[in-house]
Amino acid sequence: MKGMKGSAVWFMGCLVLAACLIAGYPGQAAAADPLKVGVVLPLTGKLAKFGEIEQKSFLMAAEEINAGGGINGRPVQLIIEDTTGKPDVGRSAIEKLIAKDQVLVVGGGYSSSVTWASVAVAQQRKVPFLVNTGSADNITEQGWEYIFRLNPPVSEYPQALHSFLKETAQVKTVVILHENTLFGQSGSKEFMEQCKNFGLEVLMKEGYEAGAVDFKPLLVKVKAQDPDLVYMISYVMDAALLMRQAKELNLNPRLFVGGGAGFTLPEFQANAGEASEFVFSATLWTPSVPYPGAREYYEKFLDKHGTPTEYHGAEAYAAMYVIADALKRAETLTPEGVRAALAETDMMTVFGPVKFISYAKMTQQNKLPTFLVQWIQGRLETVWPKEVATAEPVYPFPRWDKR
Amino acid sequence: MDVFLQTLVAGILKGGLYGLIGMGMSLIMGVMGIINLAHGQLMMVAMYITFVCFTYLGLDPYAALLITMPALFLLGALIQRYALNPLMEVESLLPENQVLMTVGIGMVLTEIARFIFSSDYKSVQTAYSSSSFFLRGISFSVALTAAFFIALLFTGFMFWFLLKTDLGRAIRATAQDKDAALLMGVDAKRITILTFGIGSALVAAAGTLLMPIYYLFPDIGSPFTRKAFVITILGGLGSTVGAIFGGLTLGLAEAFGATYIGMAFDDMIGLLIFILVLLFLPSGFKRLTKI
Repeated sequence: MKGMKGSAVWFMGCLVLAACLIAGYPGQAAAADPLKVGVVLPLTGKLAKFGEIEQKSFLMAAEEINAGGGINGRPVQLIIEDTTGKPDVGRSAIEKLIAKDQVLVVGGGYSSSVTWASVAVAQQRKVPFLVNTGSADNITEQGWEYIFRLNPPVSEYPQALHSFLKETAQVKTVVILHENTLFGQSGSKEFMEQCKNFGLEVLMKEGYEAGAVDFKPLLVKVKAQDPDLVYMISYVMDAALLMRQAKELNLNPRLFVGGGAGFTLPEFQANAGEASEFVFSATLWTPSVPYPGAREYYEKFLDKHGTPTEYHGAEAYAAMYVIADALKRAETLTPEGVRAALAETDMMTVFGPVKFISYAKMTQQNKLPTFLVQWIQGRLETVWPKEVATAEPVYPFPRWDKR
Repeated sequence: MDVFLQTLVAGILKGGLYGLIGMGMSLIMGVMGIINLAHGQLMMVAMYITFVCFTYLGLDPYAALLITMPALFLLGALIQRYALNPLMEVESLLPENQVLMTVGIGMVLTEIARFIFSSDYKSVQTAYSSSSFFLRGISFSVALTAAFFIALLFTGFMFWFLLKTDLGRAIRATAQDKDAALLMGVDAKRITILTFGIGSALVAAAGTLLMPIYYLFPDIGSPFTRKAFVITILGGLGSTVGAIFGGLTLGLAEAFGATYIGMAFDDMIGLLIFILVLLFLPSGFKRLTKI
């Protein structure tokens, strides 16, 4: 009996070990101790779509890195945990990666609210976390030495818009609509501050619950204000509904601008149809940005998955390369060593140059330019800054009833 | 004044659709005495069927009603027959277990949808998706207006069905007093299967009507389950016509709240009304109608 029990335990142990190996990185033999990298992303729940794009991009980059000899001969093993888009689940996901899997470094971090909850854990447990999407400003404003951010904070999304307005537009009044999340609130607050600095008058700033069916009551109020500029911080489907219902109400400002997030995705155009035409959006990345490998990454992703990628994917893809670079340079392969190496990062990625610096209230924050894009004849064209423009901006916004 | 009228119109139109969503849940609640927490997920299934019909067969959503409603009737009946009724047989089990079962069914439906369609957002772009007509400067969304009238039609039909037909009477009898109905020779088991089927078909209609103006992804069910729950309580548990009033109340509350308080408080306003009704009108709007 005793022997039975012992062998059962032994057998279970083998099973667990086998499961661990199988769960490891696909497409590689059980190589000697791979380097564990944790990734936290929403793979289910309403944010799953972008989570999946990022997951695919992370895996694609890891595959390329491993095919090219890995990290000094050792393969990278990604352990991807699902945050379901909820802050509490996000916390336990990162806890698990750190405590159970003992990862060297964590990547991912999608959605400001979830990321905000998770970075605190990483800081507390002294494991470096390279955030690549969560963009609320406060994430890198805590002086936390284990937290790095690849993407610009949400307050910088409208940079390109401001320079565009300064050069071309005669905009005096603004209405700001935002989804009522940390991302939306933080972005709209910052934008409002900036408007004041630019001498623009903010007539109205209002949040809404993401996922609403009917934005008409909100848009009626906007129409009554008759602003020059409508600035919206929304995810993809809210964005599409906002534009469709603006068309239904015949709301005609001089320009509609999306503050990143939802307005640059193919789904926005597919869902909003004609109502997407001539909408501007701030964005962090398009396939036509002047960084080496950006277009190739886009093509590769399209070939492999049959669906287009967008800026979230580019963030994830670049983040994987930044993590790999830090792992290669780390003097000791411990979270501490990787942290030190990350702090020294100075490289070029498909998402732009990466260097973690301190400025304003932020520490270990990468500084990047942003772009202004516009939907013209169903295609997303980069219209600003001029150096990278693929088309002339259409301005002011042609009235709905005159089309 | 324009802002007020536009808000009123938006609230009423949305309320009609809400009523349709709540009606099915209310019916199930009345007969089985359980809250069907897979209600929104059933709606999601109907929406996917609508999407497939439109994308692959070129079928207009209004025509797809003829497919989604029978399909969901069948799905609902099967769920009741093979997943919920067996739980009633077991003596030791509480009715709560059926509620838990519906939660599980909802999750399973969501994940099946994710498996087949991935988490991508889908939508149906019809010619009338973002078209509207203007009456005295007030914009009416074509699709929402159509949905509103179809919802009224279904309500009228349900009203007639429950009041005037033998089957309807049997359903009402089961809802009022199951044991008595059994003694009178009503086949209660069959009635529950039928009821769950009808409830699912009604929410299928709501989903199909919503499709041209909204969008779709696997997790869309749970927010609608929540809304249906609020509407059902407002309408007075188990009252189908009450559900229409409940839907209108919620639609109007959300619209006026959005206009005069702030759209960010959308959900809060709905829930506030929910609490007020529980406190001051415990039976919801049920006392206003017979069924």
